[in-house]
Amino acid sequence: MYWLAIKTLFHEKGRLVITLIGIVFSTVLSITQIAMYLGMMGNATSILRHIDADIWVAAKNIQNFDFANPFPEERINRVNAIPEVLWSDRLILTWGFLKLANGGQEQVQIIGFNPDTGIDVPWNILAGNPKDLKSGRYMFIDKTSEQRVGRLELNSIWELNDKRFKLIGLSEGIKSFTTSPIVFMSYNQAQSFMTMTGWKSNHASFLVARLKDKSRSRDVAELLKTYLKDNDVFTKEDIIYKTVMYWTVQTGMGMGFFLTAILGLIVGGAIVGQTVYANTMEHLREFGTLKALGAKNSDIYKVIFAQTGISAVAGYIAGSVLILLARDGIEKAGVSLYLSAGLFLALFLVILLTCLLSAYFSVRKVRTLDPVMVFRM
Amino acid sequence: MDAILELRNITKVYGEGENRVVAVDSVSLSLRKQEILLIMGPSGSGKTTLLSMMGCILRPTEGEIVVDGRVVSDIEEEMLPDIRKQYFGFVFQSFNLFPSLTAVDNVSLIMRLKKHDKTKLQTDARGLIERFGLGKRGDFYPADMSGGEKQRVALARALAGDPPIILADEPTANLDSKTGLDVLGHLRDLSKESQKAIVIVSHDPKVETMADRIVFLEDGKIKVRD
Repeated sequence: MYWLAIKTLFHEKGRLVITLIGIVFSTVLSITQIAMYLGMMGNATSILRHIDADIWVAAKNIQNFDFANPFPEERINRVNAIPEVLWSDRLILTWGFLKLANGGQEQVQIIGFNPDTGIDVPWNILAGNPKDLKSGRYMFIDKTSEQRVGRLELNSIWELNDKRFKLIGLSEGIKSFTTSPIVFMSYNQAQSFMTMTGWKSNHASFLVARLKDKSRSRDVAELLKTYLKDNDVFTKEDIIYKTVMYWTVQTGMGMGFFLTAILGLIVGGAIVGQTVYANTMEHLREFGTLKALGAKNSDIYKVIFAQTGISAVAGYIAGSVLILLARDGIEKAGVSLYLSAGLFLALFLVILLTCLLSAYFSVRKVRTLDPVMVFRM
Repeated sequence: MDAILELRNITKVYGEGENRVVAVDSVSLSLRKQEILLIMGPSGSGKTTLLSMMGCILRPTEGEIVVDGRVVSDIEEEMLPDIRKQYFGFVFQSFNLFPSLTAVDNVSLIMRLKKHDKTKLQTDARGLIERFGLGKRGDFYPADMSGGEKQRVALARALAGDPPIILADEPTANLDSKTGLDVLGHLRDLSKESQKAIVIVSHDPKVETMADRIVFLEDGKIKVRD
């Protein structure tokens, strides 16, 4: 019966093209929406994921990683008092304005850290050595910021909130959720910088700690909560989750992406369902003949599902290839796409299932088809 | 008794109450091997309903249908396709060929359905097509064939898998006189050379000359038997 499915499917090329267009549309829309969402969530959590810390201490009731509030850095002593802690350090996240060559300015996210500890940022380094950041007013910036701030040349001098910084290194592909360029500098520079915006000089945005045994992170976090009642204490997973949920649920942004992806699936499924159903209706006489000649319902279901499945696979492959071809262009426009084998596989299963479900009405029609009809027409 | 198919007092009723229609009323018939049985009658007399029941496509409301000694009228619904596959070949008034398949593929489709040896499908299907004089038309699609050619492909398809009974519903109705005679000649050959029992439902007087027996149906009842 698969043989018949293939012969019939490719005999009616016009109908096949319409079906494929529906599936390609569905694939492109669904994958790009989900890949954009995952890309943005990847950006929102990239620093959290990359810093090899098991515990994160933040100001009380922070909404997400990007909206950090300062708190006294001396509280790091309480973290260090926990025997399970291998090392700990302070981190600053603040915002500033980078003056541009054309006289304008661009808001940037500033990450201040101690290059001598295990806070291994930035990563994907194109040029420079992060350890040199501690030597003065030096900064790293991400190459992808060029679209926003102009050409980035090593050893060029940039003005950041009226302070002059030398660009000594470039990273590649480190983006923030807000799309603001990320500037890395030493903890001390970031802290002195922070005082310009009214903060006290001995404040930090986060304390991070690496444990001797990662599996104890939940217990240590609970213990630290009893010591640091004026702070929130998270495991790495918890703060990532909180950040993702903030952007996804509290801002409604995630729901927007989700609804568009679902819309893509529904529209694609409707097109496939409609063409498969129209195809079934057009071939009722043939299906009736098949039944009269001794085919079982299951034989005819195989034909319908095989045609739908083949269309789904072909349409999905075509849609995926289109996305991969367009990927560079989309990312150059500043949109982050998270595309992985897992995502392609998961979406394939969803789209295949959608297509097969859309064939349900055709199957129902065939199930009730009376083979006597072949004598009546 | 060499009957391959028997109808024992079968009745088919459609609808209930005021809408009740008796399409076939207490008909008993038997079909012998190699026999050509012609069923004639006016429109609405129940010929097609009777043929459908003979081919195990439609169940009788009452009575028994016996195929090759086995009562099939009361077997489970899901068993009927296997009975049809094993015992019957069908020829339809409108040919009912698959437009997306070539003549050879239309025949091989039924062989596939009947789990024919896959290595011999094409050869056997082509052999049947050639038998009906369509050797050069085997790779043509139905849309590119004449009515007579289509009906000959349908005859080849009916013969695929070698069923003992061929049921033909108005096989000459859509054909011109000459082509109709040609198709009837093939049906006669099937009966004599391939030893098939053949039931033909037809209005066409030409068919009468080749039938071994004629049954006239009127208001669902058999009126005359030769």
